[in-house]
Amino acid sequence: MMRRTGVLAATAVTLITSAAIGQSKIAPPPPPYAGAYQPQGIDEIGLWREGDEDERTLANSPILLRDEALNNYVKRVLCAAVGDDRCRSVRLYILRVPLFNASMAPNGTMRVYSGLLLRVRNEAELAMVLGHEFGHFEQRHTLADWKARRSSSDLLSWAAVFAMLGNTYQSYSNFDSLQLSVYGRLAHFNRDQEREADALGLGYLNRSALRPQAASVVWQNLIAEQEASALAKGVRKPNFNKVAFFASHPPSGERAAILAAFADPVGADRENGVTRYAAALAPWLPTFLDDQIKLNDFGASDFIILSLAENGWTAPLLVARGDLYRARGNPRDLSQAAEFYGKAVEMDAKLPDAQRGLGLSLIKTGRRTEGQAALRQYLALKPNASDAAMISMLAQVARGQ
Amino acid sequence: MVAMLSVSVARANGYRAKNVQVDVAKSAMKITPVRDWNSLSVRPGKKAETWTLDGEQLNDVTFYGGIVPGEPLIRETSKKHKPLPKFTSETLLVEIPELLEGTYRTEKGIGSFSVTSSNPDRFLGSDGIRFTYEYVDADNLPRKGEARAALIQGHLYMATFDAPRLHYFEDTLDDFHNLTDSAAL
Repeated sequence: MMRRTGVLAATAVTLITSAAIGQSKIAPPPPPYAGAYQPQGIDEIGLWREGDEDERTLANSPILLRDEALNNYVKRVLCAAVGDDRCRSVRLYILRVPLFNASMAPNGTMRVYSGLLLRVRNEAELAMVLGHEFGHFEQRHTLADWKARRSSSDLLSWAAVFAMLGNTYQSYSNFDSLQLSVYGRLAHFNRDQEREADALGLGYLNRSALRPQAASVVWQNLIAEQEASALAKGVRKPNFNKVAFFASHPPSGERAAILAAFADPVGADRENGVTRYAAALAPWLPTFLDDQIKLNDFGASDFIILSLAENGWTAPLLVARGDLYRARGNPRDLSQAAEFYGKAVEMDAKLPDAQRGLGLSLIKTGRRTEGQAALRQYLALKPNASDAAMISMLAQVARGQ
Repeated sequence: MVAMLSVSVARANGYRAKNVQVDVAKSAMKITPVRDWNSLSVRPGKKAETWTLDGEQLNDVTFYGGIVPGEPLIRETSKKHKPLPKFTSETLLVEIPELLEGTYRTEKGIGSFSVTSSNPDRFLGSDGIRFTYEYVDADNLPRKGEARAALIQGHLYMATFDAPRLHYFEDTLDDFHNLTDSAAL
């Protein structure tokens, strides 16, 4: 099998400068910008053309978030991370998908999922992910990967022919071993590309105005979230350090450790951009959080709510927690939900969803009169609610009110 | 609910002739169609059944018959890793749209679903709910839906109709209304 290459060794071929020799514990800075890039060679031209076709569909996607403010903000963070000249070659698309992911197409199409925006907690963390994706683009990983896959399938096609010609148990068995080797090598190649992109993303962050130590925190938080999710589901928590044979990415534990080790200590005093990020996300946070809660993953959702609450509980956060507990619906959950909604009402009596949730939870825990009072408040605040007729039956609103 | 198509050699899809009353979803709910319908052999869940005219991606009428507290609406692909929201004995009628929304969002992995209206409407001879919704399905096609539900002796009976927003929803909506108006226990 392929010899394992460490992160720094893998990037040594392309990125190491003389300045890095004396600082081998820091991710090196990116190579100098070579100018606007156009595809070269038939393979790359073809890949870009396919990327362009996909982008045409993407631009009309029903799940595309077109909000100018949010798009401009995320684009600004990307430009702050990789530099204005580089970020001009990227078109950014934010999609309403409640998963932690982002991707980069070879032609410069960057897709960011709303689940990612929900989970990163500041500009530095977002800049790490965006820089990582840009790293794939800068190093033309998709092209290299595509070529590797083509060579691999060419090799296996010929090997299959020869195995058939040999037509013995041994020849077929040799082919199976070869197939396993080749696919394993491809997966390893993908993982190394991801490691390279991590190193590049960290390199961008190291020389930006943001704190590079935040890069590792993204993965630490993801690990903690997955542990919380597994705990609530009663399943064994994943092994975060084990490399699965066909894994396309290195394990989260490795990424967290490497990113922590190679962050420039000089940048430890820089800002994270927490306040700016919270302000930019604020109009969308209730929506993204609601999307997450309705995925019925109690552990992960509660973890996310509690981490958002580290900056202070707000009425919408309390409503979200109430919704989560009310959705699970055990008697203990319902009385907890009533408590959360109650606190939300104390903070903001004019929030309709808080009154609605409070009313429903109280009714479901046997406190009918109080619940109906809260529901009447909801109807007063939101007379044109989509469920006004149903709620008014429940609230037993007298005729003429 | 968009059912997963699988090659089912043992059972072919069923045919529901017009003006013939049939049980649906292996429950006490009976439907008398006014026109001929297809009934799919692949069921979304133990207590669910899908009827269609042009194929479930174009018009999907799903009946849920007698869901008991503790059960999800449809079959869970993985009880441990991807649990679905459960109907409980405390679930209120007004929360049924949230139950459907949570089920669709979790099973299909979608991010865009909104309940557009929710009104009281008698169903199966009991106080019930009629609600409408729209969502972007897992195949990236915007769909609209309408559903009717009732809680009868602590059991949930529901009929949902999902179809693409473009043309098919409006085209088959009256047929859905005819089906559910004929529903009886």
